[in-house]
Amino acid sequence: MGDLFAILTRNFDSFSAGFLTTCRLVFVSFAIAMAVGTLIGGLRAAPSKALNRIGAIYVEFFRNIPLLVLIYIVYDGLARGGLRLSAFVAGTLCLGLYTAAYVAESIRSGVFAVGKGQFDAALSLGFTQGETLRKIVLPQAIRTVIPPLGNLTIAMIKNSAILGGSLLAINDLLLNGRLIANNNARYVQTFFWAAVGYLILTGAATIAVRVLEKRLVIKR
Amino acid sequence: MGYLVDPENWKWITSGSNLKFILEGFLVNIEIALIAMVFALIFGLLLALARLSNNKVVSFIAGAWIDVWRNLPLLFILLGFALALPGALFQAWEELVGKSVPIAFQSGRIVAALLGLVIYNSAVMAEIMRAGIVSLERGQGEAAAALGLPYWKSMRLVVLPQGLRRMVPATVSQLITLNKDTTLISIVAIREVLKHTKTVVNANPFLGDFVKAPPLQAYLFVGLLFVLVNLALSRLSQRLEIKQRQATGTKVESITGIEDQVAAPA
Repeated sequence: MGDLFAILTRNFDSFSAGFLTTCRLVFVSFAIAMAVGTLIGGLRAAPSKALNRIGAIYVEFFRNIPLLVLIYIVYDGLARGGLRLSAFVAGTLCLGLYTAAYVAESIRSGVFAVGKGQFDAALSLGFTQGETLRKIVLPQAIRTVIPPLGNLTIAMIKNSAILGGSLLAINDLLLNGRLIANNNARYVQTFFWAAVGYLILTGAATIAVRVLEKRLVIKR
Repeated sequence: MGYLVDPENWKWITSGSNLKFILEGFLVNIEIALIAMVFALIFGLLLALARLSNNKVVSFIAGAWIDVWRNLPLLFILLGFALALPGALFQAWEELVGKSVPIAFQSGRIVAALLGLVIYNSAVMAEIMRAGIVSLERGQGEAAAALGLPYWKSMRLVVLPQGLRRMVPATVSQLITLNKDTTLISIVAIREVLKHTKTVVNANPFLGDFVKAPPLQAYLFVGLLFVLVNLALSRLSQRLEIKQRQATGTKVESITGIEDQVAAPA
């Protein structure tokens, strides 16, 4: 155990490169998840049975399939079907589309959580439809949606490790930690520092969610 | 799209022992999910009680333990155990069970896999159970104390039965996540459904009479197996949640950092 700190300093470049790659994966997947999730959440809340149905099929498929199986389908399956994606694109696409199903569900419940009375009251006060949506409904919906979206971000940070550990072999914190450990055969010490890296990310996200929650959320 | 639905590309399902082999692998995943869940429930309850303990030291240690494990990626925990645990432990398991258990459980790495799944999920379950117990009105525990019940009796007879019942839907949701997570143990070389599918895709002649399957269709088929089983579980969870809300008038508490807990319908 004496070499615990030596292992961090000697491999600092590799650790930090992996850490930054994990951040990049999370950042890009988050953008995909938010964009697709908002769209699907909109379909789920739209006043059309057919659109609801499409949204529901998306959500049920991507929420119930294991992320690793999705990666096999998109990376291995599509490549031999003729569509070859880079590991980074395939990985962020899978993680993004997977998380989008959960984003859609929380956005839908956020929109429905704003009572119909709010809408009616705003209209009767002379707000136009657009103003009602922009000034009354959306601000409230966004606030109720923040804690679940924060949860999803934390879950996504954890799920990003699957991209490095799978056949994609993206050099994230997990894979770089594994490579360092293979070189020095100090598994416990090396994994300790990789764990610290992940806890920094999930811990920071947890604190950020708590702060936002305190400042913005309306209790229902 | 043509490639995907072309019946030629789906013929592999009925050829050779393809389908049987994949389903056998899928059964391993279900078995491992159930075994891990049983242990996670037991240790999760102990951890939750320790965290809620009046003893500050016990409560702090349990809290730190729970927060560390549930904030690490599960795959990271699995790989860490598979690589860092002493090999003698794995050998001891292999000698202990020999050929008396199904083939997936004969490898010593199953110890690392099950240990990782149980440690991670017991931390998650502890958090779920704690939320259930804390959501119970204070009056319940106080009333039990006023009636003269000692701490453990009031826990066992009054607080736990009500608090835990509230968390049944969340527990079923976690079982869905756990079921999906069992595919990760293929990365520590346990012969479960993904390994079996890879064998079929490559038509490995040493492991059975297989007909080469196109990977897109094969992995999609495995994905649909999971969707089917998990869909049934999530319907069950929803129904339990509705029933519970009618019975107690309470909402399920959301728990930080778990993807499946956010989906409570409004």
